Amino acid sequence: MSALYELPVFGLALTLGVYLASHGMYHRLGRPGLLSPVLVCVVVIASVLQLTGMPYSLYLEQVALLTLLLGPATVALALPLLRHGKALLSSAPAVIAALVAGGVVSIGATVGAMVAFGADDALLRAALPRSVTSPVGLTIAEILQASVPMAVVLTLISGVLGAVVGPALLSLVRVRDERARGFAIGLTSHGIGTSRVLGESAVSGGWSSAAMVLNALAMTVTLPVVAHLVTG
Amino acid sequence: MGGDPEMGLLPVLAGGTMEPMSRAALLPPVLLGLVILLLAQMAGLAVSALLGLPIPGVVLGLLLIVLLGVLRPTRAVVRAAEPAATPLLQHLQLLFVPPGVGILLELRTLAENALPLALAVGGSFVLALLISGLLLQTLLRRQDRRRGGADDQERATA
Repeated sequence: MSALYELPVFGLALTLGVYLASHGMYHRLGRPGLLSPVLVCVVVIASVLQLTGMPYSLYLEQVALLTLLLGPATVALALPLLRHGKALLSSAPAVIAALVAGGVVSIGATVGAMVAFGADDALLRAALPRSVTSPVGLTIAEILQASVPMAVVLTLISGVLGAVVGPALLSLVRVRDERARGFAIGLTSHGIGTSRVLGESAVSGGWSSAAMVLNALAMTVTLPVVAHLVTG
Repeated sequence: MGGDPEMGLLPVLAGGTMEPMSRAALLPPVLLGLVILLLAQMAGLAVSALLGLPIPGVVLGLLLIVLLGVLRPTRAVVRAAEPAATPLLQHLQLLFVPPGVGILLELRTLAENALPLALAVGGSFVLALLISGLLLQTLLRRQDRRRGGADDQERATA
């Protein structure tokens, strides 16, 4: 078995292959949040590593190409903001109020739950960037010296939650405005949620992706200060 | 793909009307876009390191592209970045598979703290979603009412 996974191309071939398969399945089944390709990929590939005994460090080495692309992908987030920012700019005061309120509540609830249960500081720091789109969240986790995989997985769970129950929850409290629906989903469940609301309406999708980038920018500035205050 | 790439592109140039962009148009669009994104990232990283800013370099790179896109003379640069940016964003999730798989090493931490983590993630998600959604809807409705009908049309086309 080790002869197979020691091939330098094994990790990349496995990752891309599983991604293509899960991507195809996701679209064929009508985009169910629980079958979000990234979730399926993480579960399948982690199982393959467990079964074959391939060390994670070796896998990471083989997929260095993907890690390298994270940087330009993060920079590319400027484009959705440019494309949809104009609509948000015309409602700047309302948008800023919602951004701040959402951010404060999100950080407050995270810190509250973690402190109430006496979870350790390292875990609290990993939970803080959970609402931030992964490329930026990952950088924030590094700055906070938190576990990057933990932060990524918690972010992923947030995204899936948003895609699965977000729209229904908003309908329940009668948030019907397309703009507000998109914004709330983008703010709390970033790219995975955005992909879901894009199916609802283009306006929602635009507001969602702009909210996702705005939230990432706001959290980049805020979270290190919060982490410092809470964990010292 | 095959043969001399310049030969294939020459007819385009000869009959083309692209004056200032003609040289950039000769470059492979995806690679050109990727280089623009990488240069913005490098500039961000350099500024962040040189000035000792607490903001990560990639985020500065993102802001740099936003700035280039807002200013009229540099808007073409952002448009040229699009062929690389679009597929990168479309398959952004793929890039988180490797760090996500790393959770294997922390399954115990995850299991031992399942309850506080579930409450922190679930609670902050639900509260932030509902509060930001309700607040924004209220404020937008009030704003729409104040601005009246003319603005509605503008919004419909936006």
